[in-house]
Amino acid sequence: MISLDQIIRLIFFPPIFITIVFPGLIALLIVIVFLIWLERKIAAKVQLRYGPLYILKPLGGVIQTVADLLRYLFAEVIIPRRADKFSFIMAPILSFGFAFIPIVALPISSKYFAFKSDLSLLVVLALLTIAPIFILIIGWASDNKFSFIGSLREGYMIMAYEVPLFLSVLAMAILYNTLDIIEIVETQSKWVWGILLNPIAAFVFLICTFMMTARFPFEISEAEQEIVMGPFTEYTGIIFGLCMSYSYIKLYILSLLFAYLFLGGWYPIVWPFTLNPIMPGIITLIKGLIVMIIGIFLRSVYPRFRVDQTLRIGWEGMFVLSIVALILSFSLVILVK
Amino acid sequence: MIPKPSTIKRHLEAIITGLKYIFVKNRLTLRYPEMVQLLSENYRGMIKYYMDRCISCTLCARICPADAIKMYTVGENKLPGINYMRCIFCGFCVDICPKEALEFTNIHDLAYYTREEQIQKPIEFSKGPPKPIFKKEPMKIVVKLDKSRGLKYERT
Amino acid sequence: MSEDKFMQVLIGPQHPGSGHMRFIVKMDGDIISEFEPDIGYVHRAVEKIAESKRYIQIVPLVERPILADTANINLGYILALERLLGIDAPPRAQYLRTLLAEINRIHSHLYGLGIHGIMIGSSTIFMWCFADREIWIELAQELTGARITYSYMIPGGVRRDLPNGFNEKLSKAIAYMEERLKDYEKIFINNPVVTARLIDVGIIKKDDAIKLGIVGPNLRASGVAYDVRKIEPYCAYPEIDFDIIVRKEGDAYSRVLVRFEEIKQSMKIVKQVVEKIPSGPIINESYLKLIPPKLREKAEQTGIWKMPAIFINLKPRKGEAISRVEAGRGEVTHYIVSDGSPNPYRFRVVTPSFRNLIAFKYTMPGHRLADIPAIYGSLDYFPPSADR
Ligand code: SF4
Ligand code: SF4
Repeated sequence: MISLDQIIRLIFFPPIFITIVFPGLIALLIVIVFLIWLERKIAAKVQLRYGPLYILKPLGGVIQTVADLLRYLFAEVIIPRRADKFSFIMAPILSFGFAFIPIVALPISSKYFAFKSDLSLLVVLALLTIAPIFILIIGWASDNKFSFIGSLREGYMIMAYEVPLFLSVLAMAILYNTLDIIEIVETQSKWVWGILLNPIAAFVFLICTFMMTARFPFEISEAEQEIVMGPFTEYTGIIFGLCMSYSYIKLYILSLLFAYLFLGGWYPIVWPFTLNPIMPGIITLIKGLIVMIIGIFLRSVYPRFRVDQTLRIGWEGMFVLSIVALILSFSLVILVK
Repeated sequence: MIPKPSTIKRHLEAIITGLKYIFVKNRLTLRYPEMVQLLSENYRGMIKYYMDRCISCTLCARICPADAIKMYTVGENKLPGINYMRCIFCGFCVDICPKEALEFTNIHDLAYYTREEQIQKPIEFSKGPPKPIFKKEPMKIVVKLDKSRGLKYERT
Repeated sequence: MSEDKFMQVLIGPQHPGSGHMRFIVKMDGDIISEFEPDIGYVHRAVEKIAESKRYIQIVPLVERPILADTANINLGYILALERLLGIDAPPRAQYLRTLLAEINRIHSHLYGLGIHGIMIGSSTIFMWCFADREIWIELAQELTGARITYSYMIPGGVRRDLPNGFNEKLSKAIAYMEERLKDYEKIFINNPVVTARLIDVGIIKKDDAIKLGIVGPNLRASGVAYDVRKIEPYCAYPEIDFDIIVRKEGDAYSRVLVRFEEIKQSMKIVKQVVEKIPSGPIINESYLKLIPPKLREKAEQTGIWKMPAIFINLKPRKGEAISRVEAGRGEVTHYIVSDGSPNPYRFRVVTPSFRNLIAFKYTMPGHRLADIPAIYGSLDYFPPSADR
């Protein structure tokens, strides 16, 4: 017989707790539900409307997204006759999966993590860059011109954000002299937050995050008025729901990463959070949420750029800035030494 | 590509304006059916018919651009009946009636359960438009124009 | 070159950014090499239906193609009909017509601006425009009793007088709108993303604009100071002071700016109209005396006038008449041929969207796929109005 004690121990076994509870599946789901609701609510507020309201009215319709998910769940999944069935179904699932996997490498605190590696930052980023490949596959598999154009746009976007993103991370790695997220956070607790050390890298990382997660003004691969729903045009039902949450997962992970890299991660740990090695995670989550909220707020301010303009921003703006951030990091390191 | 200072200023202005509206307490949505606008008296809504005033002149039926009004024979007389599926609320019938037998109401909620209900013979037509049924008694509001808020909904 | 180099993309009619029409686009990579607008999806044969209607019954009918701008298209019809009938509206009615026409112009421009906003992705400007449009609808409703389809103008005058307290409401609305337009500027007009998307996109040069016969704000944005309200003034426009907004660039952004400035001009006009409006009857004397005296007395109190029975049987002289008015989207031309019967022999309406349509074909090629909604929106094209 498995005793209750064993179950609890199993749940709090770091690899399981991190993937299933926090920052994994359950926390992710709650955050996505909350985030999509907040996105609509903020947009509504700016636009002098109410936004979602009627589902759980006392709380302002906060579980609207759950209702939407349920609707997706019961909607018929239509697979176009000319689509490549296997890749049509598998690609969104895999892209969802690969967007999700990097969570494993995110530590909760210096004592609580799934695995310790001196390359954990690279693991997260490397896994994140796999997911977009499946978006390209979606475009091919759907056999729809709009899906095709949409996935090509996604491909172009990778060109725009990937290099500056990695360079800005590299700048911070040089500064902290490590690629281990735990050590990065520890180093910040001794010095100051990374955003103060290298604000340029923080800015580049933030903009690239928005590009990567299709936030406005970079919501280009799904531009509704141009190409219907981009790569996801042909999807219906729950697979469409997966596709929709895909960019939010990436936003979630990158925002947490932003908190680790630039906002001091789980520090400062004050009283109620010292009780338990898991509690500091809440601080990271709050910091991450702030980044996410910035991202979703921009929807109500900006229209979207064109793809060529985004590429230009990526290469002529962000790339140059990330080089500047690198130089800044080098000079800081030399200065300190 | 170094953005001009003016561009950065414009970015900031846009973001600040957006932020400002998060804190502006103003919403222009009218939450129908919880709130129902009490339309002004001269609104061109559904039509009321006074059978006793009617002189069967058929002017209303002849001017109706949508062929919504039709004359029916009731006993000796020819009296108008209306088809709300066709009516476009232009109000020509009301304006041309020489005896004021037709009148506007400010009732706007045109919804019936069946198709037949919307074709009203003179007798039904003369009963006037039905009072709209709400699940819960709605909050009656009037729309006021306002300098700072645009539209203001005031409870009556 | 083999055909494979080009990809044909069919945009619409069931597409979030196409409106009620289809574009047949030939793409060379991301660049448009051929652009063919395919109209007719919402053709409703307004002109043909009109031949079977009596003259007064056409009033609500002509409103249907341009729902955002019903007063202006209606005004054009009434002016043409009045020319055939040889009748004129009294001065007060002329002012009231101008008032409603300008309120509708604001409405139409807000509509266009909002749709353009959502087409390039700014949902905020879309919601704002559609919310603030409501204020002008509310005002028009106060005046006419209907929200969109006013059918306010009748041969020889208008149907209703200014209601009590209208001026006060109007000044409140204008004060509010002026404040709001500043925020519009900050969040949309000056937004760097908007300028990046619209400046130097979809340029129509002055000569091309004249050659293609573009009308309205689109023409004025290309540097041609052409406005029917000035060139061939009608109603109360000769007595009112306003400017024609002209810009030289001819790109999508300048078209937005022209519309945006015209909202301000229209508010200026509206203000003057309610100041200068003369007193007097609102229906032509010859019709007024046909209204039964009892009803006339009552109408003088309420301001809601009745129609004389003769309206059913309006029989204009044999002949033809043409009228031009400047609607929100551009010049509307009405042409009526009468054979002396109660129905027109031929009725023709040339809507501004129909004339602006040609601009698609010549401005789109060379741009990117993402520019289609940006240019489409800037032309303020409205398929039902072109198709009629
Ligand atoms: S309001 Fe117009 S459409 Fe309706 S019945 Fe009267 S005349 Fe006919
Ligand atoms: S116009 Fe008036 S009086 Fe004449 S038939 Fe119609 S309702 Fe009766």
